[in-house]
Amino acid sequence: MPLLATEAIVLHAFDYLESSRIIRLLTREAGVQSALARGARKSRGRYGTALDLFAEGSAQLYVKPNRELHNLASFEISRTRGELAEDIGRFTAASTIAELALRFAGEADNPQLYDTIADVLDRIARSAPERTIEDGLAGCWRVVSVLGFTPELSSCALCHTPLRDSDDTTFSHSSGGIVCPACSKLAPGGRRIPSAARAAIRHWLEGDDSVHLIDAEARSHQRLLREFLGAHLADDRPLRAFAVWEHERWSAA
Amino acid sequence: MGAIDDLAAELSKLPGIGRKTALRLTYHLLKRTPEQSKRLASALTTLAEKVRPCPQCFNLTEEDLCSICRDARRDTGVICAVEEASDIGAIERSGEFRGVYHVLGGRLSPLDGIGPEDLTIPQLETRVSAGVVREVIIATNPSIEGETTALYVQRKLARYPLTVSRIARGLPVGGDLEYADGVTIAQALTARRAMS
Repeated sequence: MPLLATEAIVLHAFDYLESSRIIRLLTREAGVQSALARGARKSRGRYGTALDLFAEGSAQLYVKPNRELHNLASFEISRTRGELAEDIGRFTAASTIAELALRFAGEADNPQLYDTIADVLDRIARSAPERTIEDGLAGCWRVVSVLGFTPELSSCALCHTPLRDSDDTTFSHSSGGIVCPACSKLAPGGRRIPSAARAAIRHWLEGDDSVHLIDAEARSHQRLLREFLGAHLADDRPLRAFAVWEHERWSAA
Repeated sequence: MGAIDDLAAELSKLPGIGRKTALRLTYHLLKRTPEQSKRLASALTTLAEKVRPCPQCFNLTEEDLCSICRDARRDTGVICAVEEASDIGAIERSGEFRGVYHVLGGRLSPLDGIGPEDLTIPQLETRVSAGVVREVIIATNPSIEGETTALYVQRKLARYPLTVSRIARGLPVGGDLEYADGVTIAQALTARRAMS
């Protein structure tokens, strides 16, 4: 059984049998991989506290060819992200990022995606409670971009006519970005977005997370992102963590 | 072969049992006497018909109330909130807790679609609002999801005049410091207490 040694982030973990756990990892070398961690639930198990959600470290996997579930040999932790549990907004935003990676990353090696996800989770872990939506939006757009679906924000996505930054434009999900007034007639179902909203997405894509949104703007951005994901990435399954994050169902506490 | 396939299909739905193991178990049952198989069937029927969540604490019981809720010697002013009914056994084995329990029924997990509405947090609030409870000890697992669940419960209970506490984290008894991982040691240091 070949051994894969790689940096990895725990994106999902669920209990299996009496004391084991199945974990889903985003790896630097092999995309998303599932592995059985035997005895991981025991307090004196060989993984210690390493296999908690969003933890990062060096993983060794015994890879079973042509199988979807491998065996985790070891996990040497380098970074925990316990701060994500200190605020419900952080936790739901981080879960949304994990969901995007789990659903759309695949098994191909993608070091850039790995580094982006690690950085996004770190930023959300440091996020002030009132800024978790902005940081979550910034992270989602960066992940979407690394997955190859960067929206066109400078010129018309259909005729490539440059558009002024100050213009309010139509965002067409099916066209992959903003469209000029003439082309908007060819792309029904578009959504008008103010120039400030376009600028915000551009800032986020560039890694600048200094954008401040009022509540209504944040809601509009989440809706736009959800629609974009639905048009370009999502299969027919619902994005459950995204729904929780978008509707802030848990923040009523 | 209908009965064999039916039983194998049902057994293969159990955790950790695949198609091959299900068939092996089915053939094993066929080698047993009919009485033995009937006893197993009867036990399963009883389990399905009689065992249900306690209406007060959601522990599993065959009675109207579970044995802990019925026990007049327990301190009803202290509630220990746990994720699953199986966690009650672990705490009871310690012999240190004389209060009562509340089984939340899981932990918050957006990725699994488990939200507050899937847990028994409103029922915990109802118990607390009666005014008898002095303290709620949140004993969810020390994981990101468990901690978030504890935070959510703590916020929900913040408006009631009671103490909300969290079980401590740290080194396991009998363990060697040398072999403990850094996260556990860090938490043990943070939660250190003065010696008197």
